[in-house]
Amino acid sequence: VKSLAAASTLRSLAISTVAVLLALASGALLLGAAGQNPLLSYAGMASTAFGSAFAIGTTLIKTTPRLLPALGIALALRAGLWNIGAEGQIYVGAAGGVAVALYAPQLPFPLGVALALIAAMAAGGIWALLPGLLRAYRGISEVITTLMMVYIGIQLTNYLIEGPWLVPGSTWPATPVLTQAFRLPLIWPGTLVNAGVIIAALAVPVLGFIVGRTNFGLWIRAVGGNERASAVIGLPVKWLMVAALAASGAFAGLAGGIEVLGARGRLLEGFSPGYGFEAIAIALLGRLNPLGIAAASLLFGALDAGSAGLQVASAGVSSAIAPIIEALAVGYLLAGLGIAELSARRRQARSALRAGHKK
Amino acid sequence: VDVSAVTLVLAASVSFGTPLIFAAIGELISEKAGVLNIELEGMMLAGAFCGVWAALASGSLVLGFAGAAVGGAMVALAHGVLCFVFRAEQVVSGVVLNILVLGLTTFGIGSIFGSNLGRSTPTLQPILIPYLSGIPVIGRVLFSHTITVYLAFVLVAAAWWLIYRTRLGLALQAAGEAPAAALSMGVKVRRLRWLALLTCGLLAGIGGGQLTLAGLGTFTQNVTAGRGFIALAAVIFGGWWPAGTLGAVLLFTLAEAIEVRAQALGIHLPYQFLIMAPYVVTILALALFVGRSRPPRALGIND
Repeated sequence: VKSLAAASTLRSLAISTVAVLLALASGALLLGAAGQNPLLSYAGMASTAFGSAFAIGTTLIKTTPRLLPALGIALALRAGLWNIGAEGQIYVGAAGGVAVALYAPQLPFPLGVALALIAAMAAGGIWALLPGLLRAYRGISEVITTLMMVYIGIQLTNYLIEGPWLVPGSTWPATPVLTQAFRLPLIWPGTLVNAGVIIAALAVPVLGFIVGRTNFGLWIRAVGGNERASAVIGLPVKWLMVAALAASGAFAGLAGGIEVLGARGRLLEGFSPGYGFEAIAIALLGRLNPLGIAAASLLFGALDAGSAGLQVASAGVSSAIAPIIEALAVGYLLAGLGIAELSARRRQARSALRAGHKK
Repeated sequence: VDVSAVTLVLAASVSFGTPLIFAAIGELISEKAGVLNIELEGMMLAGAFCGVWAALASGSLVLGFAGAAVGGAMVALAHGVLCFVFRAEQVVSGVVLNILVLGLTTFGIGSIFGSNLGRSTPTLQPILIPYLSGIPVIGRVLFSHTITVYLAFVLVAAAWWLIYRTRLGLALQAAGEAPAAALSMGVKVRRLRWLALLTCGLLAGIGGGQLTLAGLGTFTQNVTAGRGFIALAAVIFGGWWPAGTLGAVLLFTLAEAIEVRAQALGIHLPYQFLIMAPYVVTILALALFVGRSRPPRALGIND
């Protein structure tokens, strides 16, 4: 985990950039193999993602549900914990937000949406809390438990959507459209950008502050660096682990809440096509740095928004190219980090050998 | 209770379980050697895709399954290169490969099956075992399946024999429990882990192939739909033990089979609770029986 957080900002920026460029080049080869002109495809994607105010707005909306979970995953990784379950936390977060709207419909505007977002964070936090407790107090790897909680969360949400929360008489799996009191207001005329984008943008410095400037941040980095040493100096290691995972889940839950209270306006099945898994890739590409994560989220938000502009025969192709490039970028990043580590070790060995000769 | 309905549910649980048995036994072998494959889902999905691709191209089911195995092994190869050569964390590699395979197979539907869309491969037909298939209930449940179902059961026994009764199996367990000690005893840890990982890829690929080639004979987007994760859970719930893993798979797919026939059985539980059951019981088992069964000590840690 330690090597995933960058030592030098400039150097890590360079490695991530090269990885992304290689991934884009590989994506071009793939598009070419599928009979597309890669340059025209990318140009089309760029104009669909950035060509107008509306396009930029769409890109920002697609950036938000990737950015927030990725920030949370980075927070947990600082404590040395893998939150593989952001996808599930997104779904239960969305359900938590919608629950407020459905069961307290009389709440007035700013209070309603604010409470709904708090409920979303709480739900996502609770979903990560259980794996946190099992990890801290029973030593059970959080990798497996957070992953298992994904499918429990999605099915629980599906049950609510198809059961008690279904639009009466409807067969399409979705809840009723939420009233205005529970909607994040639109903030940029001529686009679909809602206040959730601002919340996500604010979360970037907030995470930087938590990790870099608070005692909590210092302590979880200590736990992530050396669990045993942290316990020896008297840090509440177990409590910090639980708190870091729960906070991580709250970020993902907030993303789910914003998605349904903002862009979607209702809770519907399958609304997240894997944002929570993509966020793991994004957190790594951003090297756990809040600004790096923001940049990576924006890139993949733009690829997602832009892929709608791809002129291809099958709809599935266009939606698939963004995650392919994303996964390839992380693959190249891992390879680059591996090569850097190997060459550093070789250098060390060589200088040790030279020192030996001098004796 | 209607006996014929119960028989059908049990038989369905066995046939639903077969793809998972291949994948879970592969994962078990790999985990014994210390290699965790979160990308088991991706291996199955690649197998399902390549199986249909190879079967359509060759017209042969045997080559279809061979293609499925190769598809799964390609994912294993990528995992090995990232983890063993570039020393990436196994969790990261696994997550990324799942995203990549889902993307590539979705992309491939249009560009590879585009001209064949809607065409299905020949599919595996059930082989009724003489005499045995005539036994009431048991005959239908156990002895009226495709050849791959019988092979899956043979595989479980073979895996048990390999892990607990051979020198290779002992070395495999050493690589997963105490790689440093194993290395000092002359066990080639890296080579064994590669072997176990590629075996897992081949088997999970065949499991994915079973899903499409013994099913509808076509590939649809994300056809595995989380089955790789259920297989991963089965290895844990089965206590890292071949027979236990088999039992876990059949228990989990029993839930799936009940879900499909819930109405006929007069069960009115919302089906979502049956789908989530494998994950719930796995977490409960981990929480309640911690210590009694545990993962290999060096699981997920690169040597």
